[in-house]
Amino acid sequence: MRTDRLIEQLARDVPPVPRRAVGWRLALGIVGGGMVTIGAIALLLGFRPDLDLAMQGPNFWIKWAYTISLGLLSIHATARLARPDQGRLSAPWLMLLPLAALAGVGAVELMRAPPADWLAMWLGHSWRVCSAMVFLLSAPIFIGLLWSFRRLAPTRLRAAGGTAGLAAGAWGATLYCLHCPEVSAIFVLTWYSLGIALAAGMGALLGPRLLRW
Amino acid sequence: MKTDEQQLREWMVGGLKGDAAAHACLLRALVPLLRAYYRRRCGPQAEYIEDLVQEVLIAVHSRRATYDPVRPFGGWLLAIARYKMIDHYRRQGRTVPMDDMDMIADEADFEAASIARIDTDRLLDMLPPKQAGAIRATHIDGLSVAEAADRVGLGQSDIKVSVHRGIKALAARMRGTR
Repeated sequence: MRTDRLIEQLARDVPPVPRRAVGWRLALGIVGGGMVTIGAIALLLGFRPDLDLAMQGPNFWIKWAYTISLGLLSIHATARLARPDQGRLSAPWLMLLPLAALAGVGAVELMRAPPADWLAMWLGHSWRVCSAMVFLLSAPIFIGLLWSFRRLAPTRLRAAGGTAGLAAGAWGATLYCLHCPEVSAIFVLTWYSLGIALAAGMGALLGPRLLRW
Repeated sequence: MKTDEQQLREWMVGGLKGDAAAHACLLRALVPLLRAYYRRRCGPQAEYIEDLVQEVLIAVHSRRATYDPVRPFGGWLLAIARYKMIDHYRRQGRTVPMDDMDMIADEADFEAASIARIDTDRLLDMLPPKQAGAIRATHIDGLSVAEAADRVGLGQSDIKVSVHRGIKALAARMRGTR
């Protein structure tokens, strides 16, 4: 096609773009994917029956503080990498803060408990499935983010895929909290983080192929 | 040079607000810039230059939400142009030499330099070819006067005089246009 014809065609369709469009688009992808994840939890796993009771105690909120802060930080990083000219992350080590905070809480918990209980706290009842669940529940959110990226322009595809996977993992974990009754911080620190890391790794692996434009 | 960036950015911001005319102006103004950019990088006779130019135009259009109006427009545009070029080579299974990649990816003010280059080319085109050639050899390619004389096949004093006159003419022109 001739270039001036192309320009004519493109200029026919110029809807206004809201400010912060990148952030909104990512948020929309996560919310869309998150609905599918919530649906899957409701249908296949079920919400934990004592959810409203649990929400009054600290353990539930410690879990959420961890996964949500990780989710927000990784969306922020993804939004940066979604622009072609802002490839570098300003402070990637910030992402380690939630991890460090949770490790601190875990250490305090362990000190207060008799060493005989440590193994049980670490493995909980569901350590075998927890990481896999977080990983699987992150998949719809990752797909939602792939939709977001169709209007975005990452130039470092592996990094962008990695942070998108991290965001999907963190939000998948956040929703998994609605099902998972585990309470100890070191359980979350180990098995949730493992699932989130798997999601991030998968994102980094797939990024160069799926995020091309 | 500043006005170019300024103008492009104004059109871009206009397009983001839904002004189709500004958007069309922007796309049209980008065509020669992109052609010059790719000719310089891929060789002037590469047959895929027009494809790349069109791909960038489509990306500038469909992914314009990623432009942040507080940042320079040139940097955004050239980041897209560079990505499209690397992607093109990758699709062809051709490897981009690592040295070039480093040069492309890491030079902090690469974008500014490229825009300045395009502007420099435009300015030099206004001079007689002899003067332009002499300036290019000594001031842009960094040759010594003797090497430049060898390359163009002129005497050394001829090169010196050409550079001197050319720069003077450019300075006069710049003062005139500002």
